[in-house]
Amino acid sequence: MNGSCSERERLLKDISIIDFTLVELNEYLDTHPFDAQAMEYFNHYARIKNQMMLDFSSRYYPLTTDTSMDKKEWNWTLAPMPWENAADPYPLACETPPMQPRNNTGKGGYR
Amino acid sequence: MQDHHFDENLERFPIAMAYVPWQHLSCIYDNLEEGFQKGTIFPELDKPFTGRRVVS
Amino acid sequence: MWSYERRLQFPVNIKNPNAKLAQAIMSQYGGPDGEMGASMRYLSQRYATPYREVAGVLTDIGTEELAHLEMVAAIVHQLTRNLSMEEIEKCGFAPYYTDHTVGIWPQAAGGIPFNACEFQSKGDVITDLFEDMAAEQKARTTYDNILRLIDDPDVCEPIKFLRQREVVHFQRFGEALRITQDRLNEKNFYAFNPGFDTVADCGCNN
Repeated sequence: MNGSCSERERLLKDISIIDFTLVELNEYLDTHPFDAQAMEYFNHYARIKNQMMLDFSSRYYPLTTDTSMDKKEWNWTLAPMPWENAADPYPLACETPPMQPRNNTGKGGYR
Repeated sequence: MQDHHFDENLERFPIAMAYVPWQHLSCIYDNLEEGFQKGTIFPELDKPFTGRRVVS
Repeated sequence: MWSYERRLQFPVNIKNPNAKLAQAIMSQYGGPDGEMGASMRYLSQRYATPYREVAGVLTDIGTEELAHLEMVAAIVHQLTRNLSMEEIEKCGFAPYYTDHTVGIWPQAAGGIPFNACEFQSKGDVITDLFEDMAAEQKARTTYDNILRLIDDPDVCEPIKFLRQREVVHFQRFGEALRITQDRLNEKNFYAFNPGFDTVADCGCNN
């Protein structure tokens, strides 16, 4: 389980690295729209990123709604949120037993 | 159509205005992960903070 | 329009909660030089620009700032999610906690709620671009100040990334200004507002 989790994190980081390169080139091209070298870099990395997005979606979950693959479940909602700490993930409501009311006071307590 | 090509002959810059020098693409980091960690793929835009405050 | 990618632009994995740091970093969410102000500023200004390249820069950088907003929220969330009541009280976090528990709410470090007074959209492309370059420098200085407070590398790395982005954005807005200047008469850049006026008067008031 841990092995596949860190492999997933590695692929996500690689996607982030390529996408960041595209963001930088995008913003550079906004002010240099006819820079052929920048355009070549952009086209090259855009192709790589598209492939990585499809790869990630088929192995784990979709990163955008339009890279959702033929699955039986709507993985888009069930997938982790980006701000979740890997070590401390949110539970899924559909997998969590209902919380029972307790007779004692809340965490802070009265003094 | 042609890209903007700004030559930086400073005498041509009238006063009462501010100007930022034009970036010409020279290279990007070979190691994209290094650029990602730093926050830019352009080595010439990498300007890290190294300030320290020491009150004696 | 906007679509969403289910990941942070730069990873945030913080192991140690810290209420004091959270209060300082919160300012970059909803504070005067923060990411919410930055994205709203650029996305609002783009309608009045006369040149497509400038509108493009404002759109793309404004969109990136939304991703930064998300990162700052993730940092504050991970710094506060597992705080004990003792830590909340000891670190002066009780006032924010009273109104928001450990939820995320846009405000400055001093408590002023996010509002549109934190940015300007003047409807004049030269003025707006100077506002944007100043905004990037103010954000950079805020991150410099935050970096002096941090010794946790988990927090340092995303903050350093966000700070460097401000430097790059400053360069892009500066280039957008050069493009604009190139379209105007260098004898008098201020003769008219290129996004509003259709002709420049000769100045005779007869």
